Amino acid sequence: MPGDHRRIRGPEESQPPQLYAADEEEAPAARDPTRLRPVYARAGLLSQAKGSAYLEAGGTKVLCAVSGPRQAEGGERGGGPAGAGGEAPAALRGRLLCDFRRAPFAGRRRRAPPGGGEERELALALQEALEPAVRLGRYPRAQLEVSALLLEDGGSALAAALTAAALALADAGVEMYDLVVGCGLSRAPGPAPTWLLDPTRLEEERAAAGLTVALMPVLNQVAGLLGSGEGGPTESWAEAVRLGLEGCQRLYPVLQQCLVRAARRRDAAAPL
Amino acid sequence: MAPPVRYCVPGERLCNLEEGSPGSGTYTRHGYIFSSLAGCLTKSSENGALPVVSVMRETESQLLPDVGAIVTCKVSSINSRFAKVHILYVGSTPLKNSFRGTIRKEDVRATEKDKVSRWCPSAGVRCSALRPTLKNSGKW
Repeated sequence: MPGDHRRIRGPEESQPPQLYAADEEEAPAARDPTRLRPVYARAGLLSQAKGSAYLEAGGTKVLCAVSGPRQAEGGERGGGPAGAGGEAPAALRGRLLCDFRRAPFAGRRRRAPPGGGEERELALALQEALEPAVRLGRYPRAQLEVSALLLEDGGSALAAALTAAALALADAGVEMYDLVVGCGLSRAPGPAPTWLLDPTRLEEERAAAGLTVALMPVLNQVAGLLGSGEGGPTESWAEAVRLGLEGCQRLYPVLQQCLVRAARRRDAAAPL
Repeated sequence: MAPPVRYCVPGERLCNLEEGSPGSGTYTRHGYIFSSLAGCLTKSSENGALPVVSVMRETESQLLPDVGAIVTCKVSSINSRFAKVHILYVGSTPLKNSFRGTIRKEDVRATEKDKVSRWCPSAGVRCSALRPTLKNSGKW
């Protein structure tokens, strides 16, 4: 329109914005399949929780807190005569309640807090892996609550949550048979791919199969195993488990040091 | 200066069963003593017997009423057959979260220092309506 000074006129031609958008990294860089990202672990950082631990591995940040032992809900019975053999020992064992939560800012897109089935499944996996390590027989009719909060997902989140939960339980003074160390693996799609230890978020997104292994290092027993995806022959899964167990063993000294430092810090603060 | 304290983590192998006997905070497996807590290792040297190896933490986290322990409770509700109590103290240390217990009519006996695990039946208990504090060896 000739001489229209009230409108702001845009350019005559327009182009799609993708031309100007930044290029996303196409493929994750090639790397040594057995490399473990450097881990930062710290126990005993929350003053309100009985035990707590923070674990950072690459981009993955997990915070875990433990509270209890508390009176177990769901029917406690009155005491009976001491020699009652009728009550099964299972009823007297303590319980472990695990909760896994993903912060809304943990991934690339904001996810509202009730994350649905995935969080429940991971919480169940946490519980299954931690139960063999905790001496629940020493906490009859009590329950221990473990809550893991994933602050940032940078790959192998469940493995990091497992490790952090075990550290938090040890920091809380809960009697355990051994620590639980978790390790994540993933396999890229393709004809003959190798399993990658401790995948980053990109590698996990593009993976055809993923696996998380939980190991009790001193007793050398597998505490938990969670895998998904289409894998290929069974030997490759066995190979992946072996790789994961190796990774867990390599991670163990760091966690030992972390707990010792936390115990020292606690003792230094106690007399005050 | 105090001798350097040795800290251990759960699952750490401490020693052989021939060199020590397991104390609190430890468990035995395959003839070895393992630690089950993250704390300081202490070895109490007995005269004659084996030293007792135990792992101590400063905070009293293992405070669960055990069978045969002396507990101090407060009655919360009374029935004709039993009384429900809150267990407040185990021994002489207070609990952070109170546990609940039940004292049956035939189990109650107002003894002070007994640690028996089986009770002789006694007559019915009479509590005043003011919910008194009971000190007895109750089972929870």
